[in-house]
Amino acid sequence: MKQQVRRRILIGIFSIGCLSVYCQNQPDFPLQTVPLNDLSQFKAQDGNWQVVGGVMMDRSVDAHHEEAKGKKPEKNKKMAVTSTPGTGILLNMNDEKRKSQLTTTWEHGDIDLEFEVMLPKGSNSGVYLQGRYEVQLLDSWGVKNPAYSDIGGIYRNWEKEPGKIYMGKAPTSNPAKAPGLWQTMRISFQAPRFDASGNKTANARFIYVELNGIRIHDNAEVPLPTGGPIENNEKPTGPIMIQGDHGPVAFRNIRYRTFAQDKVTLSDLRYDSYEGKFAKAGDVAAAKPVSSGKASALNWEAARREDAFAVRLNGTMHVPTDGAYLFSMNMSGGGALSVDGKKIISQDGNANSWDAKTGKADLKAGTHDFSVTYFKDVAWQTPALGLFVEGANLRRQPLHSMESFANDGNNSSPILIAVGGAPKLLRAFIDFKGDRSQRRTHTIGVGDPSGISYVYDLKTGGVVCVWRGGFVDATPMWNDRGDGSFRPLGNAQYMFTDQPLAVLGSTSASFPTEYKESEFRGRGYKLDASGRPVFRYTYNGMDVEDQLVPDEDSRVFTREVKISSAQKPANLYFKLAEGKDVVLMPDGSYAIDDKQMYVRMLSAAKPFIRDGNGRKELVVPVENNTVKYSIVW
Amino acid sequence: MHSNALKNSMKKTIKTCLLCWAVGLSLPLFAQEPPNTDAVTRKNSKEDDFYRMVTLPVPEGILLEVGGVATLPDGRIALATRRGDVWTVENPYMANGQQPRFTLFASGLHEALGAAYRDNALYVAQRGELTKLSDTNGDGIADDYETVYAWPLSGHYHEYSFGPKFAPDGGMFVTGNVAFGDEEWWRGESRVPWRGWTMKIFPDGRMEPWATGMRSPCGLGIVDGEFFYSDNQGDWMGSGGIFHVKKGSFTGHPAGLRWTNLPNSPLKLTTEQLYASVDPRQTRNADGRYIKPENADEKTPNLLFNAQEKFPEIQTPAVWLPHGVLGISTSEILVDQTKGGFGPFAGQLFVGDQGQSKISRISLEKVKGEYQGVAFDFRSGFQSGVLRMNWGYDGSLFVGETNRGWGSAGTKTSGLERLVWTGKMPMEMKTVRAMPDGFEIEFTRPVNRKLAEDLDSYTGRTYLYKYHPVYGSPTVNEEKMPFKGVKVSADNLKVRLVVADLRQHYLHEINVDGIRSEEGMAVLHPTAYYTLNNIPDGQKLSAAETVTKRPVQNSMVPKGKTPAKATTSATAKTAANAVAKAPTFDEVKGLLSKHTCLACHNAEKRQVGPAYKDVAKRNYSNEKIVQLIYNPQPQNWPDYPAPMAPMPQVPKADALKIAAWINSLK
Repeated sequence: MKQQVRRRILIGIFSIGCLSVYCQNQPDFPLQTVPLNDLSQFKAQDGNWQVVGGVMMDRSVDAHHEEAKGKKPEKNKKMAVTSTPGTGILLNMNDEKRKSQLTTTWEHGDIDLEFEVMLPKGSNSGVYLQGRYEVQLLDSWGVKNPAYSDIGGIYRNWEKEPGKIYMGKAPTSNPAKAPGLWQTMRISFQAPRFDASGNKTANARFIYVELNGIRIHDNAEVPLPTGGPIENNEKPTGPIMIQGDHGPVAFRNIRYRTFAQDKVTLSDLRYDSYEGKFAKAGDVAAAKPVSSGKASALNWEAARREDAFAVRLNGTMHVPTDGAYLFSMNMSGGGALSVDGKKIISQDGNANSWDAKTGKADLKAGTHDFSVTYFKDVAWQTPALGLFVEGANLRRQPLHSMESFANDGNNSSPILIAVGGAPKLLRAFIDFKGDRSQRRTHTIGVGDPSGISYVYDLKTGGVVCVWRGGFVDATPMWNDRGDGSFRPLGNAQYMFTDQPLAVLGSTSASFPTEYKESEFRGRGYKLDASGRPVFRYTYNGMDVEDQLVPDEDSRVFTREVKISSAQKPANLYFKLAEGKDVVLMPDGSYAIDDKQMYVRMLSAAKPFIRDGNGRKELVVPVENNTVKYSIVW
Repeated sequence: MHSNALKNSMKKTIKTCLLCWAVGLSLPLFAQEPPNTDAVTRKNSKEDDFYRMVTLPVPEGILLEVGGVATLPDGRIALATRRGDVWTVENPYMANGQQPRFTLFASGLHEALGAAYRDNALYVAQRGELTKLSDTNGDGIADDYETVYAWPLSGHYHEYSFGPKFAPDGGMFVTGNVAFGDEEWWRGESRVPWRGWTMKIFPDGRMEPWATGMRSPCGLGIVDGEFFYSDNQGDWMGSGGIFHVKKGSFTGHPAGLRWTNLPNSPLKLTTEQLYASVDPRQTRNADGRYIKPENADEKTPNLLFNAQEKFPEIQTPAVWLPHGVLGISTSEILVDQTKGGFGPFAGQLFVGDQGQSKISRISLEKVKGEYQGVAFDFRSGFQSGVLRMNWGYDGSLFVGETNRGWGSAGTKTSGLERLVWTGKMPMEMKTVRAMPDGFEIEFTRPVNRKLAEDLDSYTGRTYLYKYHPVYGSPTVNEEKMPFKGVKVSADNLKVRLVVADLRQHYLHEINVDGIRSEEGMAVLHPTAYYTLNNIPDGQKLSAAETVTKRPVQNSMVPKGKTPAKATTSATAKTAANAVAKAPTFDEVKGLLSKHTCLACHNAEKRQVGPAYKDVAKRNYSNEKIVQLIYNPQPQNWPDYPAPMAPMPQVPKADALKIAAWINSLK
């Protein structure tokens, strides 16, 4: 079809998601880490909480068996949780006597908090913001319709009186992983607000909660403390409290950043308005304004036209505390920001409004003169001027008035594909680990009615990723011209992109990464009676069939690769997984990549762990023409 | 009552005649019609009177963004869609008063842009492979999705793949779009083998690289057992056209030449060899960034046939489809195999157009061993972009439509229509043939001899398009085509026109506005666009055989038609005052259509390009608009799918007048 100028704009729109107010990564203001060398950040407790160096949770053992009830385990009895001494991991092993909650010595108001958590089968915990608003932690692996009581849910309270009842809020999806795997949670929390006499003026709010990379709450208000608070009231600050009386739980990499409520404000705003075409902020300063006067807010309103203009806004900036401040400016056109006469941001020539220009300044608490210049000679864009500021303890805030920069992002209707009563198949490109430079081009998504999905690479015979939740977001492919790709609607567990079945010259030889037409030919797939695909390919003269079916209550995929060939070449191997490490678990399965997923062998051959590309690989020799294993995540 | 009765009886007559035509009887139709009057002329001058569109009812919830239409032997049709579904449609003819029924035969394909039926299987091109879809258990739904052949992709959005079309030997032709550059986003590039190529793939999985030079080869067709494809204007493609693609030929876009060093490449021409002779204009500015090449005002622009003299692999279009006139994004090529079921054009070609939502008609002939021929407008007004066409068993034409992301004159995003010949004989140029000294026009109905022998009934011009790395091309080297003489055949069906100087390789545009049928019908589509790749040898007409005089006065020239000369001088005069007083739409309508502006623009609403009303909002000066007509800045309109081609051929006086009118829309 025709050439697309729009392409560049689309890229812009897709990236707005990560340039917008709330989700910018801030290397400028790193999170603070809770040191887990000891428990000095926490108040005294019964001893159920300890610092350890390693933890292993056997996913086949329920956390609430005898061991957890303080009884001595029988000999050879399987243990749900085992640990090794050291530091870096916070572990709770409660029993009927020792079951304290764990509370920080410090208090917080507005906070961004993130951590990794590991739960054994059947265990239950929770993280209370301000000791009062609980985000639930539970082994919710495979739960189809998560409730407030599942992992990531905002818990309910148990009040009976009308007006005091809060029923909690279920997460919008359940990206929970299997017991014994590390899960990541990110919480952005805003404390309730109070007036001078202590009356609440605004509810507490979860700005967002993310579990394993998936948003599960956005902008959710919590009107009352949830069940089991440290005190049944609401305050400007409170400690973090972690529940320790409902079963084992482990944490690591606990990091946070707190925010003060004082904002940067502007006053004594005056404008100068110019007509004409400007290419540099300096040219504006030298020009003669057509009008000047008082301005009510920071915006481009004084221009009174859509293009070929410049405006300058001067005034006083009130800074709450000493420190470094990051300013970012969004404009269609060019402009500049100076504080106390010093240039902080300068954009000559045209910028796109979604492309923020940033600059940093060390400012003392108190007042500062500032000047914003905005000029526009770019007829096809609508005027836009946004200015944001952020500090070590200042949440990113806009300094412009709302209408000056309409950050509307991508508001096209999403095209979300659901799985019906039969397996759903859809071919599309997929960006491996979300990375466009690792785009896979001959891939097909397969959504099982049981709620788990995978992507298969028809060019390598490999599984690209697996996930549970919805099927795929086809918006990138089907909105407008599209770019041919889709995204998994869930927390995708990525595998690797090599061709997994290969004849290796030695046990240390690499698996092929490049598609070789002379060796490997995809043959497509057949649908079986249930509508599930059986993939077929030929490799070195062997006909191969490959199928994934749901297993273990539809929470895992069991994959069977069958070679129908009279003669099998020697040295035929199959790569099962790769990662930072591969660890043999007590139940005989392998934990992959620092406990991100498991591989459980079902065919007889014994896999081995080897080095490959600076990572560990789990490889199995092909015996009896079959490789069968489960992917558990 | 009385007049209704009359109408009914007329209807009956027409119906009877329809039947006559349907069974192939040749009757003197319309013989009893009243003598020619303007009323009759107008009444008969609608496309709809001859070719009627039937929009197929589609169940709610089914999105038919049609990428392929195949006809099945049992009367069903199969539709492959950009959403990756394949629907079979039972009773698309709505026989027995029953609506069509849709069955989801296959799904999950990667943007299927073609479909062909062969031996109980459907073959479809996905982005990355040719797939054979079979129903092995007899439930009417595909359960075997077999990869016939997979080709590499880089994952660029523009890497669409089209086809297949079956060759007589059972091989299947599949074509692939180029990608575009990252920094040079305007430049088509072939990032992996066989992008910008035609592949011939056999059912056993063998692949033969066939030819390259393709940019956006959406339209495929088999004519006389030979492979043809259509491309549309873009970088290196001055205008749309259809090409006869022999094995090893190069049709002009250089991207695919990157792979001619591979052992199975059928041609050896390299990018370096071509660029040594044709400047790709890859220049950088002071910051080291590539500069987008713009249309230059060369004295002797580079033309594709010039390059052909040096590189015989080059295949120029068999027929050019002038950009903006006969389409802007050509699609399917389909031969009329209905043996008259679809009207008087049996054996001719129909070519769809996505952007203009219409179909053109082409009549080919072979001169000195090469194909060439004539193109006409045929039928416009489809509800969405015309992407795919195929014949129904009753000689009607199924038209599969989509415009998502591409934009089209038809305002619906997708659909399926059926074009049916009403049985009435349109007054058309059936074909135009090249002659050693000019052209022979054959009409579908006998012409009024007096008008046909009047040289003032004809006007003509010749021009061509550039071969350069710029998006599209203006028409260049334009000359008037003076007619020296005319000879009308005894049966009044053919007219021989003698032309002073035929220009080999050039487009010859012949307008027959002054011609009427014996009954007074005007020619429905009065302009023929003949691509004269070769001038045939043979006997020229002697002066004695032709009429060379122009009558002083001819009362039968339609009212309101002024000779071309007068129009030109009037335009020039008005242009001088253009800035002072903005012209009205009626005053510029002629210019807008003459310069093909209306192919993409509408005054009030967005079409392929922005509404003129929206252009007016930009507050450009009239001069600036003129500059933008000559050198458009597509980056100013990022929400529009197709960049505008430069139009320096629009005379400044005309451009200024158009600009003044645009600015009056504020």
